[in-house]
Amino acid sequence: MNGRPAALIAPALVGLAVLGLWQSAVTLFEVPPWLVPGPVLVARTLVADAGLLLGALAVTLAIALAALACAVALGVALAFLFVQSRAIEASLLPYAVLLQVTPIVAIAPLIIIWVREPLPALVICATIVALFPMVSNTTLGLKSVDPGLLDLFRLHGATRWQVLTRLRVPSALPYFFAGLRVSSGLALIGAVVAEFVAGTGGTASGLAYQILMAGLQLNIPRLFAALVLITATGVALYGLTSLAAWLALRRWHESARG
Amino acid sequence: MIPAQADSQAPLVSLSGVSLTYPNGVRALAPASLSVRAGEFVSVIGPSGCGKSTLLRLAAGLLLPAEGAVARSPGCRPAFVFQSPTLMPWASVSRNVALPLELEKVPMAEVRKRVEEALHRVGLSEFGDALPRELSGGMQMRASIARALVTQPRLLLMDEPFGALDEITRARLDRELLRLWHARTLGVLFVTHSLYEAVFLSTRILVMSPRPGRIAAELVVDEPAPREEDFRVSPRFARLCAHLQDEMTRAGAE
Repeated sequence: MNGRPAALIAPALVGLAVLGLWQSAVTLFEVPPWLVPGPVLVARTLVADAGLLLGALAVTLAIALAALACAVALGVALAFLFVQSRAIEASLLPYAVLLQVTPIVAIAPLIIIWVREPLPALVICATIVALFPMVSNTTLGLKSVDPGLLDLFRLHGATRWQVLTRLRVPSALPYFFAGLRVSSGLALIGAVVAEFVAGTGGTASGLAYQILMAGLQLNIPRLFAALVLITATGVALYGLTSLAAWLALRRWHESARG
Repeated sequence: MIPAQADSQAPLVSLSGVSLTYPNGVRALAPASLSVRAGEFVSVIGPSGCGKSTLLRLAAGLLLPAEGAVARSPGCRPAFVFQSPTLMPWASVSRNVALPLELEKVPMAEVRKRVEEALHRVGLSEFGDALPRELSGGMQMRASIARALVTQPRLLLMDEPFGALDEITRARLDRELLRLWHARTLGVLFVTHSLYEAVFLSTRILVMSPRPGRIAAELVVDEPAPREEDFRVSPRFARLCAHLQDEMTRAGAE
C-alpha cells in the first residue's frame, strides 16, 4: 500500500493515451462500430444500457460471490482436514488437483444437466474454479508453523485444538489471504465461463448472457460495455480482498507493510 | 515461590545413559548422563552438531531417548528458552508471555498478575502492548525469558539463547540471567558454544565430544555469587578458561 502519486499517475496517463489513440484511430479510419467501437461510444452505451447491464452484473456478481463464499468455506474445511493427518491429505489431495486441472467448460454441461436449477449449477461451476487456491494456500499456511513455537505448545501440554486455534490459524492467515485474492478473481471468471457454457440453459440474465446475445445481434458496443463492467468488477474484487488482507495483517505481517 | 525443600538435593532432572539415533542412521548421542539440582547452573559446551541441543530436548521431554532414562522430579515442568526468541509475531509481548499460563488454563486474573510480574523482572514493563517486531533482538530475548519465568519453573532449559546477539547485549543478558537464577534458586541447564559465557555463568560445565556426543569432561566453577563484570577480567577467570580450553581440546571439541 504505497500511496506514491507517481505510482498512480503513470499508469493513468498510459491508460488515457491508449484510449485517445484508440478513439482517434476509430474516427480517422472510419471503422464501423459493429467491428470496433470507440471508447466514447462504449461509454455512451454503458450509460444508455445501464439498467440492463447493471441488472445482469448483479446476477453475475451474486453467482461469483456465492461461489467465493463456498470456495472459502469448503477450502478452509478441507485444509483443516488435510493438516489433521498425512494419510487424509495424501488420499484426497490428488482429487483436488484433478478438479483443478479439469477444464470447467468440459464439466459444466454435465453439472448443468445434473443440477436442474440453473443458479445452483452456475454457483457449483464457479466454486470448482475458485476452490483450489483456497485449499492449497490454506493447507500450506496451516503447516507453515514455527517449529520452536510448536515445541513450546507441546511443552506446556497444549491440546490439538489449542495448537490449531492459537498457533496454526494465525500462522495461516497471510497464506489464506493470498489464496483469497486469487480465488476472488477466479470465482468471477468461473461465473462468467459457466454462464457462457450454460447459454440459454442458464439463468439467461447474467453478464455473460448479455455478451453472448450482443455478439449474436452484432451489438458490439454493448458487448464492449459488458466487458468493461466485468473487468472493473474483477479489479474491484481484487482491491477489496487486498484491503481485507491489509486490515487483518498490517500490524504484524511483512506482506502488509510496504 | 517454592521454599527450600527437604529433598533439595534430589536432582530436578537426571539423564542416565541416554542415547539417540536419528531415523537416517546418524548417531546423535552416545550414552550420556547428567543431572541438574536446584540452585545449580550447568552449562553444556561442545562443537556444533555434537548433540547439545538433543540433550536439552531430551531433558525437556520433547524427545524420547532410544536407550537410557530421563527422570524429572515430581511436578517439575521445565521451561524452555530457544535459540531464537520464538515469539508469536501476531501477539503482543503480554500475550506472548501469558501463553504458557493460558495453555495450562490458569485463571485470567492470576495470569495478568504473573505476566506483569514476569515483565517487570526482565525490565519490559513498559512494552507489554508492543508487538515483537517493535522490539530489538535483546528485548525480544528478554520477552522470551519472561515467558519462561512466568510459569515459575524450578528448572530452566536454555538452548544457546544469546548466540545471535551482539557482544554488549549478550554480556548484559548474562548478568541479568545470573541475577534471576540467584534470586530464585532455579536449576539451569544451559547450552552454549561460548567458552567465556560458560565460565562466567556456570557452577558446573560439561564438555561434550564431537558426534556422537558424549560427556568427555566436567569442570566445577567454584566462584561465589553474585558474579559481576570484574570476574570476567580476573586471573581466576582466565585460569578457568584456559583449563576449559584444555579439556575441550582433549575431548576433540576443537
